[in-house]
Amino acid sequence: MEKKEILEKLSTAVIEGDKNLARESAQNALRAGINPLEAIDKGLSKGTEVVGAQFESGESYLPELIMAADTFNAAMEILKPAIEANKQQVRKEGIVLIATVKGDLHEIGKNIVATVMETNGFEVVDIGIDQQTLSIIEAAEKNKADIIALSSLMTTTMPYQKEVIEVLDDMKLRDKYIVLVGGGPVSQKWADEINANGYGETAIDAVALAKNLLNNRKQTVAMD
Amino acid sequence: MLNFLDINERALNGPIMSEKEFDMKVFVPRLKSVTDDYGIRYDKDNPVPSDDKAADNLFEAAVDFMSQVGVYCKDTNRIIQFKRDEILEVLKGAPGRCLAGEGKEAGVFGMRRPDEQKHPWFHVGSGIVASSEEIATNLIEGYASIAESNSISISALDSIRGISVMAGSPAEFYAAIRGIKIGLEAIKRAGRPGLPIMNLISTSASALTAIAASAPQFGLRPTDGWLCGTIAEMKIDFGVMTKVAYLLSSGANVGAETAPILGGYCGGPAGTAVVSTAYILMGLLVHKGNYQLSFPVHFRYGCSTTRDVLWAVSASCQAASRNVPMPVIWLGYMASGLSTKMYFYEAAAWLLCAVTSGAPSVQTPHPAKAVKIDGITPMEAKFGVEMGIAAAKLTREEASERVIRLLEKYESQIPTAPEGDRYQDCYNVVTGKPNELYVRLYNEVKEELAGMGIAFEK
Repeated sequence: MEKKEILEKLSTAVIEGDKNLARESAQNALRAGINPLEAIDKGLSKGTEVVGAQFESGESYLPELIMAADTFNAAMEILKPAIEANKQQVRKEGIVLIATVKGDLHEIGKNIVATVMETNGFEVVDIGIDQQTLSIIEAAEKNKADIIALSSLMTTTMPYQKEVIEVLDDMKLRDKYIVLVGGGPVSQKWADEINANGYGETAIDAVALAKNLLNNRKQTVAMD
Repeated sequence: MLNFLDINERALNGPIMSEKEFDMKVFVPRLKSVTDDYGIRYDKDNPVPSDDKAADNLFEAAVDFMSQVGVYCKDTNRIIQFKRDEILEVLKGAPGRCLAGEGKEAGVFGMRRPDEQKHPWFHVGSGIVASSEEIATNLIEGYASIAESNSISISALDSIRGISVMAGSPAEFYAAIRGIKIGLEAIKRAGRPGLPIMNLISTSASALTAIAASAPQFGLRPTDGWLCGTIAEMKIDFGVMTKVAYLLSSGANVGAETAPILGGYCGGPAGTAVVSTAYILMGLLVHKGNYQLSFPVHFRYGCSTTRDVLWAVSASCQAASRNVPMPVIWLGYMASGLSTKMYFYEAAAWLLCAVTSGAPSVQTPHPAKAVKIDGITPMEAKFGVEMGIAAAKLTREEASERVIRLLEKYESQIPTAPEGDRYQDCYNVVTGKPNELYVRLYNEVKEELAGMGIAFEK
């Protein structure tokens, strides 16, 4: 099988959420001597770009996004050992710790953001809904997160977003993390008021914002 | 007939699986297969369909879906399952009415059918947060002063003695009982002390607070209504179940609250219509509800007035109104805020859609996606009632044509909808009266809508 065909099949597998095809094509890629990083960039990632665009235009929805992410990961299970054997590294945008704050049981918005982040190259650690402030911070520390993303769908749970930021301050950890906030009643005004680093109205906004803020941070560190 | 302890038992003994497995290996594939098998199709050119057979087919799809999927209990990681026969038995035994209110305000909130000219039960107001007790009082008095209102929702408070109300905190409890007191005082001031409050308890996210503030000494009556939520999609937890157990044991009206999300696990409009209908079965089966509050919303825009959500509302409302004896309050979230023309266009479209589709009740369409503090006034409540009465004179077919014309006016602006004003920008906080500018806008829009064939009462 030709390289072009294998890469196309990897992309198709992600678009169609076909894990078997993804695994088979990943194996074919290795057998054909394709660099696994190239298989990701020119195969799997092309598929996630298509699914992302379909999601953005309203042609596909959360289930298709999750299936694309799961399919991507199924292929990665085959490709990862080869990447490690080559002493290479998968390019990662950053690590995102995402949670819905205490008292709030809404999860679909958070799941959409988590999945869109994942399909855009972030490693996402999703610790779920109704999460205590300290649990969120501990999880961010444990997973060496770059970004803490906090979802809240209720006016009575928004103050817990503020609390996370205040406790980060108290623990002298605030500068370590980019804190993003989102959810129905959340606004840029609220984000500014509680000293969050950013607010994303949609999942796509959140990804763009996260990438920008991480890039800015990297540039600042480089200048220092 | 299954009682609530039977439901509890199933939550302890049903098939166990992770939440993600439930979402992606049960809910999503079975929704897709049911939607395909029953040929449920979205028609973007007809936001208010008029096909009774299609409505009944959607109902059958929802029964099938419910019997295949069940309801996931987050605390036990188990699925509460129902056989088709059990679902049909519960429907057979459902009274199709809810008794609400006291004294001369006591009423029977019953069913309506598509194209029926009977007025819906007007549920007026919202739980949108009010920033001060004065505004909350004015709002509730204003809602209760609308003669046609049959029941009301009261505002939530965001602070008590300057302390932020945080879910599950003691301040939430103090704000909850304060909110109840304000609500009861305001309906007395309007001369309608028996008017049922049916969004209890607005200032309480936690089940613990809701149960505590429902103790009789704080003034609520069993003929009011308590909202008991579900977790999207098709999930429940022990907190809500305990609240339901408490309310059932005290003989209070239980309102099952459901909000299917188009674009989330439901996928597109066809899947959302199936889930929206199945939720009403869930309200009877799991919550043992006396009534239901349903508000499908769009995942990206947080509103109910996109073309696809309108269709899903209309289709599921018809399916339920024709086949499920459960009085449902249908609620819509508008993308735009108050004192904008766009709000009225959206609200008119949504009400035309719901009322002609047989909604037993419609609630005041909520401005600015229901998230703007002080983002509602009694004027939108008045519009909801006047527009609801006008809509009841139309058939689904007539409504669909008008909805299409309204969509032309606002559809493209949904992504950038204006968030609108606040109560204090349009109303005098002391007198509780609207300013001239807002009255003028209101009259102008009504005139424009009348020109589109919407016959308001004189």
